[in-house]
Amino acid sequence: MIKKSKRVKDYKLLTKALPTLTYLDPQSVFILLMNNRCKTYDLSIKEGDHVLFGQQIGVRHGGFFEQPIHATVSGTVGVISKKLHRTGRKVDVLEIKNDFLETPHESVFDRPDSVIKELTQTDMVEIIKDKSLVGLGGSGFPTYIKLATKEKINTIVINAIECEPYLSSDYRLILEHPEEVITGLSYIMQALNVNHALIAIKSMKNPLYEVLTQVLNVRFPELNIQVVKLGNYYPQGWEVEMFEQALGIRIPPGELPTKYGVIGFNVSTTVGVFDAIKHNLPVTKRHFTVTGDAIKYPQNIFVRVGTSVNELIELCDGFTDEKSVVMVMGGPMMGTSVTTSDVVVSKTTTSVIILKDVEYVEEQCVRCGSCVYSCPAFLQPVQIMNAVKRNDKDVMKGLRANECIECGLCAYVCTSKIHVTDYVRKAKKLIG
Amino acid sequence: MPKITRKTSPYLRRPKANVTRMMRDVFIALLPVTIFAIYKFGMAAVMIILVSILSMMAAEYIYYQIVDKLDDEKFKWKNKSFTLYNFSTITSGLIYALILPDATPWYVVMIGAVFGVVFGKLIFGGIGQNIFNPAALGRVFIIVSFGTLMSFDIDIDAIAQATPLGVLNDDVFNMAVLDSYSIADLFTGMAIPGSIGEMSVILILIGGLYLALRTSFEVRIPIAYIGTVALLAGAVAIFKGISFDYVLFHVFSGGLVFGAIFMATDPITSPITKPGRIYFGFALGFLTFIIRVFGAYPEGVMFAILIMNMFVSSFDYYKWTNSKTTKRAKIIFSIVILVSIIVTLVGVYYVE
Repeated sequence: MIKKSKRVKDYKLLTKALPTLTYLDPQSVFILLMNNRCKTYDLSIKEGDHVLFGQQIGVRHGGFFEQPIHATVSGTVGVISKKLHRTGRKVDVLEIKNDFLETPHESVFDRPDSVIKELTQTDMVEIIKDKSLVGLGGSGFPTYIKLATKEKINTIVINAIECEPYLSSDYRLILEHPEEVITGLSYIMQALNVNHALIAIKSMKNPLYEVLTQVLNVRFPELNIQVVKLGNYYPQGWEVEMFEQALGIRIPPGELPTKYGVIGFNVSTTVGVFDAIKHNLPVTKRHFTVTGDAIKYPQNIFVRVGTSVNELIELCDGFTDEKSVVMVMGGPMMGTSVTTSDVVVSKTTTSVIILKDVEYVEEQCVRCGSCVYSCPAFLQPVQIMNAVKRNDKDVMKGLRANECIECGLCAYVCTSKIHVTDYVRKAKKLIG
Repeated sequence: MPKITRKTSPYLRRPKANVTRMMRDVFIALLPVTIFAIYKFGMAAVMIILVSILSMMAAEYIYYQIVDKLDDEKFKWKNKSFTLYNFSTITSGLIYALILPDATPWYVVMIGAVFGVVFGKLIFGGIGQNIFNPAALGRVFIIVSFGTLMSFDIDIDAIAQATPLGVLNDDVFNMAVLDSYSIADLFTGMAIPGSIGEMSVILILIGGLYLALRTSFEVRIPIAYIGTVALLAGAVAIFKGISFDYVLFHVFSGGLVFGAIFMATDPITSPITKPGRIYFGFALGFLTFIIRVFGAYPEGVMFAILIMNMFVSSFDYYKWTNSKTTKRAKIIFSIVILVSIIVTLVGVYYVE
């Protein structure tokens, strides 16, 4: 099987057609006080205090920015404990006991459309900064920094591709709330003063195309937004690949897309922008997928941020009768594996995937070249792997191992089932 | 509550992809040629194929038992490093058998097979580590050592290439060869003597088509290889003002198609990038043509494959390897093609 192979079996049929379940009232929610970008925090409340829905309860400190922390339910503040974050570290989480009233804080109000029309880029950046919106596709990069760009933007591209197998939360989100996506996008267009935007979807997702074009034609005929169908392969959702397919611009590694007049947002982020601008709400709820071949009833669930994943697994009737499973937060190609189900849904997690633990027998590399043919960044994973085995740093640098995006395609296509991605990751670490 | 194991991404693997499938496909692709060889040569072909496969497997089995012994491991009848299970040795043995002349004595077959598998594959560390193609190495070893013992009923290889200068310079002789073996006979393999598996171009192409459909080999190598030979032969034909049958004659004779499809494409002994594989095929074609026209041995294909196998790591050297075809690479490659045509023509002119 010596071939360029970018098609990854996608298993989306498990959940794609299922309506989204709503599970908004857990006994208590756990708010992550740290994340991969922010290592320290300050709290403005203490144990026993009563907090309201959407209230700011503290601040996370990142390297060059601060993120306000918001309560996602109304209720009583509990204790701070430690839970596993998807980065593999234990982080502090704050428990808030739900009073099931969802009493909104005074900062939560609906902005009338007439007011929104008058908002400038600076105003919107300020609102989004206050609501601590980050890239909800998984990157967790603060959205306000992206939105505050001074470069001239010609086109906004909304990433609704969701190329990872198994995931269907973005799919359901668009299908069920297309007008929120488009309104959010129109706010971004207003902030960046752009009059052209694209919504990129996979060409196989015809229902999304229909629903989006219909809403665009009927409700927003004045907006210059097109829905473009891109290829069905993986990793079509990688920004560079998406821009290249949608606009024909290949952004060289290490450069920002804004320099080329384009900017990309994930579709969930767009809905986050809608909530922040329209309702002055931080991200408190999100679409979530619990799926995999080792869970009884895979589901799409609309959950509150901070819900314990254990409860969601319970909701799906638990595990199947496997001796050993792998639990992944994020997609099965790039997500991180966690060692316990005692984790919480954060803003940036899109899904939990529970897979059977299959042992793959590694054979000798036969240099078939499938990894080289398939690599979306045009690297040579097998040669990087051999360099890692010899510990030859010059070769790793010469083969541009640092440009790897860790999409996992090289290990996926490997004829000998070698975990090539792991070697490349090691090379990236070795050359810094 | 199941145990939750920690792994690293990605957690999925491509279904139905494994080394055994790739090697088995080559074996299946060789079957039409093998059946034709047995039909044509009868017991002689059966003997060569059996001796070759069995001695390669035995050599490999004994080698791994010795390695285990040296590593102070306990003796087991079933050796885990033994690659019988993934068809690679059987495939090598079959390829090696099919490039032998039908009158090769059994002990010569055995010596070549053992030499090829031990020095071509095992001492480098087994499958995936070898530098040389085991079948080509075994074949060249016995040509060099036992050249006189191998004979064809009618020595077409000798006519076609052993005295290539004569073929090239003497138009009359050239036409005589073309007359005595029609192109159609060369293509189907009927009524043409030669190595037992190399004769029927059509059956070899069927095998190649099967491999291409199953994507079990890199189709760029044989296309570049055969294309280069045809290009150079065409240039010589125009230069000398002889018939274009000369091109077909070069392409269909001397095991070129067999070598290009089943031996040059061995992924272990070819470069890793797409452009690298095209350059590799080109270099093979150039060398094969040069050896046929100017060299002393008839087996241009085997020597070219072994020589280029040595240069595979320089195709993949990190300072210039690239999996994309750049504009610069295209320009350099075009210049190299032009230079090689000129070198061939100058050579043909001066040899006269």
